[in-house]
Amino acid sequence: CKKLDIAPTDRFSDLTFWTVDVNVNNALNNNYSLLYNSSLFFEPEALSDNAYSPSGDLNLIASGNATSLTAKFAGDWASYYRTIKSVNIFLENVDQNKTLPQATIARMKAENQFMRAFALFNLSKWFGDVPLPDHDLTPEEAQVIPRTSKAAISDYIITQLEAALPNLPSKDQLPASENGRITKGAALALQMRTLLYQGNKMAEVVTVCEKLINNQATYGTYALTPNYSALFSDPNTNKTNSESILSLQYVPTVRTWQNFWDFAPRTVGGRVSAMAPTQELVDDYIMLNGRGIKEAGSGYLESNPYVNRDPRLTATVVYDRYSWVNPNNTVKTIYIKPGSDPVQPGLDEYSPGSQSASATGYYWRKYFDPIALSSFVSGNNLHLFRYAEVLLSYAEAKNSLGQMDAAVWAKTIGALRSRAGFTDAGALSFPSGDLTSVIRRERRAELAMEGLRVDDIRRWKVAETTMNGFAHGAKFATDQNVDGGYIRTQQRKFNPQRDYLWAVPSGEVGLNKNLTQNPGY
Amino acid sequence: STFKTPVTILTTRVISVSGKVTDEKGIGLPGVSVQIKGTNIGAVTDGNGLYSLSVPDELASKNLTFSYLGYVSQDISIAGKKTINVQLKAGGDNALEDVVVIGYGTQKRVSITGSVSTIDGKNIENKPVLNAYQALQGEAPNLIIQQSNLNPGSDVTVNIRGVGTLGDNTPLVVVDGIVGGNLNTINPNDISSVSVLKDAGSAAIYGSRAANGVILITTKAGKLNQKTTVSYNGSYGLQDANVLVHKVPAWQNAYYKNESLVNSGLSPAYTPDQIQQLKDLGEGTWKIENLLRTAPQQSHNVNIAGGGEKSAFFVSAGYQDQESNFIGNGGDGANFGYQKYNLRLNQTNIIGKLRTNFILLYTKTRNKTNSVGDNNIFADANRVPANFNWQDENGNYLTNPFASQYNEYGVLEKGGFNQADNDEIFGSFNGQLNITKDLKLTGEFGGTLQNNGTFFRRLQVNYLPSGVYGDDRSVLDANSKSQLFNTKIYLEYGKKISDHEFKAQFGASSENYSQRGFQLQKTLTDQLLGTPTTGTIVDPINSNNSLAINSNSLLSLFGRLNYAFKDKYLLEATARYDASSKFAKGNRGSFFPSVSAGWLISQETFMQSIKNTVNSLKIRASYGVLGNQNVGNFQYQTTYFNYASAYGFNNIPVGGAGTLLSNRDLTWEKASTFNIGLDAGFFDNRLTATFEYFNKVTRDILQPRQDIPLIFGAATPDFNVAKVRSKGWEASLTYNLRGENVTQSFSVNVADNQNKLLQLSGGATEQIINQDVFQLLRRVGEPITQYYGYQTNGFFQNQSDVNNSPKIAGNAVVPGDVKFKDLNNDGIIDAKDKTVLGNPFPRYTFGFTYRLAVKGFDLQLFIQGVGKRETFLRGELVEPFHYGYGATVYEHMTDYWSPSNPDARYPIFANIGSPSNTNNWRTGSDLYKYDAAYARLKNVNIGYTLPQAMTSKAGISRLRVSLIGQNLFTLSKLKFIDPETSEFGNNLSTGSSSNSARQYPLPIFYGAGLDITF
Repeated sequence: CKKLDIAPTDRFSDLTFWTVDVNVNNALNNNYSLLYNSSLFFEPEALSDNAYSPSGDLNLIASGNATSLTAKFAGDWASYYRTIKSVNIFLENVDQNKTLPQATIARMKAENQFMRAFALFNLSKWFGDVPLPDHDLTPEEAQVIPRTSKAAISDYIITQLEAALPNLPSKDQLPASENGRITKGAALALQMRTLLYQGNKMAEVVTVCEKLINNQATYGTYALTPNYSALFSDPNTNKTNSESILSLQYVPTVRTWQNFWDFAPRTVGGRVSAMAPTQELVDDYIMLNGRGIKEAGSGYLESNPYVNRDPRLTATVVYDRYSWVNPNNTVKTIYIKPGSDPVQPGLDEYSPGSQSASATGYYWRKYFDPIALSSFVSGNNLHLFRYAEVLLSYAEAKNSLGQMDAAVWAKTIGALRSRAGFTDAGALSFPSGDLTSVIRRERRAELAMEGLRVDDIRRWKVAETTMNGFAHGAKFATDQNVDGGYIRTQQRKFNPQRDYLWAVPSGEVGLNKNLTQNPGY
Repeated sequence: STFKTPVTILTTRVISVSGKVTDEKGIGLPGVSVQIKGTNIGAVTDGNGLYSLSVPDELASKNLTFSYLGYVSQDISIAGKKTINVQLKAGGDNALEDVVVIGYGTQKRVSITGSVSTIDGKNIENKPVLNAYQALQGEAPNLIIQQSNLNPGSDVTVNIRGVGTLGDNTPLVVVDGIVGGNLNTINPNDISSVSVLKDAGSAAIYGSRAANGVILITTKAGKLNQKTTVSYNGSYGLQDANVLVHKVPAWQNAYYKNESLVNSGLSPAYTPDQIQQLKDLGEGTWKIENLLRTAPQQSHNVNIAGGGEKSAFFVSAGYQDQESNFIGNGGDGANFGYQKYNLRLNQTNIIGKLRTNFILLYTKTRNKTNSVGDNNIFADANRVPANFNWQDENGNYLTNPFASQYNEYGVLEKGGFNQADNDEIFGSFNGQLNITKDLKLTGEFGGTLQNNGTFFRRLQVNYLPSGVYGDDRSVLDANSKSQLFNTKIYLEYGKKISDHEFKAQFGASSENYSQRGFQLQKTLTDQLLGTPTTGTIVDPINSNNSLAINSNSLLSLFGRLNYAFKDKYLLEATARYDASSKFAKGNRGSFFPSVSAGWLISQETFMQSIKNTVNSLKIRASYGVLGNQNVGNFQYQTTYFNYASAYGFNNIPVGGAGTLLSNRDLTWEKASTFNIGLDAGFFDNRLTATFEYFNKVTRDILQPRQDIPLIFGAATPDFNVAKVRSKGWEASLTYNLRGENVTQSFSVNVADNQNKLLQLSGGATEQIINQDVFQLLRRVGEPITQYYGYQTNGFFQNQSDVNNSPKIAGNAVVPGDVKFKDLNNDGIIDAKDKTVLGNPFPRYTFGFTYRLAVKGFDLQLFIQGVGKRETFLRGELVEPFHYGYGATVYEHMTDYWSPSNPDARYPIFANIGSPSNTNNWRTGSDLYKYDAAYARLKNVNIGYTLPQAMTSKAGISRLRVSLIGQNLFTLSKLKFIDPETSEFGNNLSTGSSSNSARQYPLPIFYGAGLDITF
């Protein structure tokens, strides 16, 4: 006979878990791992006019064909609420620990408040009004919790971050071993983004940005990293720079992401092209002289389109005859024009109907990791908030308040262009006229492939323009008489009455009668 | 030849009795057992029906029992006679006289009051299958066996009487009295008989594990007083994997791609010149057929059996080998495939009043499969147009712009493998002490020790012009050990007092199980050796030690009471009390009672007038409560687990801790089961029939609450929430025809079961689950899992049809797109028009066996099938240019709409992201539905037994050669995939991933067999 009271030997019970300090740290780390992930980071590009995904839900959403059943809606929704649950469990149980210093516990709580605020920010960004679980919900509470207005969610986020700020260290107070933890700077950056996305809080945006720009002794020292490309790709710069405010932390070989496998050309190790840059993105990179390609005097040549362009284009997008620098510093030319590759079949060549060749004739370079394991298993960090975004948001807010001037220009757009490698005065000096589109274009070029473009076109309410009609690829179409010979990848449509919000997942509406559906679904 | 039992009672006089046993036509019957009643002394008739027997003087007043399968047994008093000739009457299967194995004992078929189906060993042997479940498919009504993967070594799913719970529906398996035997690894040739306990009356003695039914396996044993024989049986044959899908030629594919693009407002991809070029280029080798080969399958079994007066033995050894139809070996070692080695010992001893039985079994299995997974192989092979090649003329593996970077030909030939090596020892030690004539004490101890090892290795394969597989070069070793012990002791008392017959049984049992395992994974190992080298990484996430012990324990008391009056009225009651470690104190114990009764109507006087027509007629009924404790071992306890590399700070990994939420109030699922049955024999029992009806309600079904939205933020633990009714019927009919030279038998069984969800959870009455492009529905009052979505209504035939028909709002459809039914007639297609589209669980399952013997020739045909089942298929074999992932069209998809083909099977081609594609393929309708009913000629066996006169000169008492065919012919409306494959396990789980029609094709087997007995 064997006894009937058997407990697992490799796990803790709820009676003992929180009393052990290491466990509390582990619970905190677990929540960090739930903060965000590489797919949530990259995928939104394909929901914007920056990129095209040839398959799956990203394709459906981008073309305006999503419904309340679209799996990504439910998947993302569930993912954010999972994070919130884990945070709430932490906040409600951590006080069982009596051995960690009070200040340590207060800091951990503040970090968790940030995580919950970030999840709520993302939820309300996509779904509008959403339920706000400010404590660990019971199953019964989850069945009746109503939606909280988007404005109230924003207020809650700001208040929570305000409460967290005193208990968080500044970046400068962090010992090196804690690089990557949530700081005062991160809390301000999330406040900034929350306020900016509301559209009518530009003065508050300026206030928050100025804390980060002008009060670095208190909130941490931030600056632009000299080399734009290195910030994403150089394994050393990527991890140690003064530009990152909060990054998703990875560690080579043990905590990794692999999305780049489906971004890179086949001939340099890519698998399929799951998401490819559009011609619309490429066209928005300005010339070295500061002019847009369609502006008079730009010097843009459609027959040789990739020369004299914003250096960030080459740092971001792979185009025909691109010089791909291999990890060992050799250079491989990427042939994309059909029939041009000396090695046939040319796997990178544009080939309609191919799953693995890019559907737009462009691939990605930004976030290429030269020390990744095979299949692009990378340990490079993904920057959730960086100082460049603060400068761009500051410029946008100042401009919308009518306060843009040469000084603001110089330390924002000017500084970014200078860092990107522009030297021409036409690009660097303060221009005249309405700068709204200049600042927006700058934001697009600087932040391309960081998942923020889709937020911008939605908060600017321009998606019914940018997400309507054909998304294009390079000038390799079989029929050169249609759309100037630029590849039509997909006909998109955007219903402004519906598509500015995602559908609340259909299953959720069925299980909670207080949960209403967004209009049009 | 006749042989005498070695009766060696020297002190007493012995008389000799001899005679001839004949059938109704006076023809000598060979193989008839002649036994002195109540003793082990007996003989068997020879080829002419003659026997001779030495009878000790003190037994001379006893009866001789003459028995033979298919004939009515006869008892004849010896009464000093020297010669006793007997004519036996054909009596069907003798089914009612059979002794049937039941829980904790045996019972005469005639006195059984529960629902028990039995399968004789002869129905299982000679089938070219390695898995005993496969051999059982179709053999008993409502023993539902489905195979979702046909790759050798794949497990099967089993249900008895369908689905009774939302949780695990796996029946309990008991081998030679010991709980928890492994039917996947047992050698089908070692099985003597199988009993399937289906209702509470028969199964309640297994209490908490019996709700899904019980399968009792009895393995072959030696018999007392039996000549020692040596037998060999073997078969060898070839399996042909039957690929049912065919790509259209590449030039047609290009044409269809253009059509798809143009229909979506996009430019065509191919110029007419390019299409002509593709046509001129001809076909390549990139298709599934070229990843498959004809593969051998063989089976060899030897056994030695014999017995004296006080002991009997059976020793067998078996070897079975089924090679995979996939080409290659992964780059090293044997071909892909499954091998099994069995060694079995069964020893019985009589020591005074004590009878002992020892069974020991060793099984070794090895299953070698590819390193990438079958699903990927088929997907990559399926999605590339037909003009591409796997290899160039130099043998290099090629890639192309249509697939991912993989070339599966190279993966199979060089890309590594996954090899499982499992060792299993099963033992059963049983002692029966006959304390008095009526009182018997039985003690049993047994169990299974398993040691399962996995070795996985991925090898790097480089492709041209670029691409690589397996450059992580990982090597993984994993090992798991488990032990399951079962100890029990029970007392039986039986007594007959005039017309009253009593039997009582009472016992106690203890079971316990524990398991632990470890694994180690390294990546970037040496390409040639797989050993660590510069840059090798130990993978901390996929490596673990054997700290985790999985463990459970069950303590039980059980009892059974039988009462029979005049052998006409039968009454039985059983009960079991189980206490399990899987529940918290207070919820641990539960009581499972049942009662059953039977009435042998044919024994009544009013039936005697038609006794010659209706030989036997019995009605029986049972009711009882059965349990199901198929829950996780520590599931009632909330636990926290630490894990490595959850996150990182400053480029250094840090650990994390996760939570497993629990529900301390978990308790047993309980199934209240009612069964009524009718057994009848007609025309000298040549025709026997059984009919059963059952109705089972399972309550307190454990499952996660389905009424909790995702906002809750975590998977909910299981609660005792749901309730399901499962009811149905089953019938079996056997007709035996014995002529002078020709013997035939027909046997058919058919069954149905229907389940209904009575309660889901909390207040929720409906759950809709997205399963890829379509939906599954759980709705109270309906079958537990159904396909759900829009009903199609043909196609939009022209623009005015488009303008005038209800549509999904905001989607610009065109003629040739799928039209949906506006079920609520509100002029618009929306979620309110969704309806139930099909039921994936098989109904009207059937099996048919025909046997024919003409002189030395014999033939056995076995047909098995499913009368009704719907299946939803998706993926590149269903949707042209599937979801942007696939680049192909298949022949069966070319029945698509055009003005001249208005009633097509499929809509017009359209690109992913277009309104047409969204309407037709992303909306979840019965466009994806297929009829998966089928009938299959599963097995054909044609044999010839050489005349004994010829073989006996070589000392061979029996020599039979045979031709064997398996899966020879399938009748189904579903033509491009095997209709048996299902995405569901035996529980219709809503978590099952959808069926992408990428299963390993059904192997068709042709071979020959040999049976020799010395």
